[in-house]
Amino acid sequence: MAEIISANDMNFEGFIKNNRMIIVDFWAPTCMPCRLMEPGLEKIAASHQESVKVLKVNVNDCPKTSSRFFVHTLPTLLFIKDGQVKTQIVGAVNPNQIEKTLIEVS
Amino acid sequence: MEKNWDVIIIGGGPAGLAAAIYCGRALRKTLVLEKKVFGGQIINADIIENYPGFAEPIVPAELMDQMVKQTGRYGVILENDEVSSLEWEKGFWQVALYQQTVAAKAIVYAAGSVHRFLGVSGEKELLGRGISVCATCDAPFFLRRKVAVLGGGDTALSEALHLAKFASEVVLIHRRGQFRAEKILQDRVFKNEKIKIIWDSEVLSFKGDQKLEGIELRNKINGTLEIVGFDGAFLAIGTIPNTELLKNIVKLDENGYVITDISLSTDAKGLFVAGEVIKGNRRQVAISVGMGVQAALSCEEYLASLD
Repeated sequence: MAEIISANDMNFEGFIKNNRMIIVDFWAPTCMPCRLMEPGLEKIAASHQESVKVLKVNVNDCPKTSSRFFVHTLPTLLFIKDGQVKTQIVGAVNPNQIEKTLIEVS
Repeated sequence: MEKNWDVIIIGGGPAGLAAAIYCGRALRKTLVLEKKVFGGQIINADIIENYPGFAEPIVPAELMDQMVKQTGRYGVILENDEVSSLEWEKGFWQVALYQQTVAAKAIVYAAGSVHRFLGVSGEKELLGRGISVCATCDAPFFLRRKVAVLGGGDTALSEALHLAKFASEVVLIHRRGQFRAEKILQDRVFKNEKIKIIWDSEVLSFKGDQKLEGIELRNKINGTLEIVGFDGAFLAIGTIPNTELLKNIVKLDENGYVITDISLSTDAKGLFVAGEVIKGNRRQVAISVGMGVQAALSCEEYLASLD
């Protein structure tokens, strides 16, 4: 089963270069809605393990990546295809909404 | 998803989940629909200290996770989906979802509320660029910065206390001369050296280009206008009930709240309400849970009358 991968300022670019479709979950340990979104993201990571890489970025530890994408509120999900940000979702959402957005941007 | 249910509960916050536990224990085939994440708005809070039964403060997300698991013990089905319409037809409530329509003999409507916004200049543009509605979510972005919290209730004061752990200065801006929050929260706020208070002031606009830079205020007593510099602003000025689906079904007050009595039934057959959609609710988890239980019991009485 595919897992959500913790990315950081050092390795983030590598994931962008090596994966066609990425969902990035910006979170922080204090963000309660972020915690509740995690099972949904795990489901997405498992059901799309061949085509989508799901990354999580802790904004407290990764200021460079957070600033690069102008993340100012949590949770924020970025949908990156071929290195380009296609869309973002701000605020807690359920797996169906993530799935729907994934279909739209794929 | 199956089409026919005894009860469909709309809303997966404290009221909806409490109702679900009781409907499940009544052996009713029960579906709970939640358009966001299960748990409701309380998951945005950092701690709950006033929920009876817990001697130590509890993490809201963990409490709600327990409620979700508790519904599972009684065969309740939880689904993430958004209701687009609700209609009574041929003796059943028809509930239109994203890709299908489901039906139930009874509905417990516990769709909660959404954050209220001020509707002033700059607010929409700067939302997510310094303006936030969730301190536990966004506090890390304001480490050693100056932030404002707008409001005077439990949420505003709790958020100010949480933000004081991160920010260099927190300013509570309230349109009245006193808070309506719990006294214990007021006491903590007054004693916190990082928290300042601006009383009797209303926000006229939010200033900033790419990000929030300041807030324009008007003092309601003497009419003085000033622009105060802030890096962040957290809105905690109340909520708006999610009752759009009910507006042609039950009587709502001028603010969109459902008017009901202790039974939590409505004029519409087989439709019960619970939680923050009800006029006069005080936005407490314990109250919402109690209302969920009451609505489920009234619902069960109704269903039993059909059996």
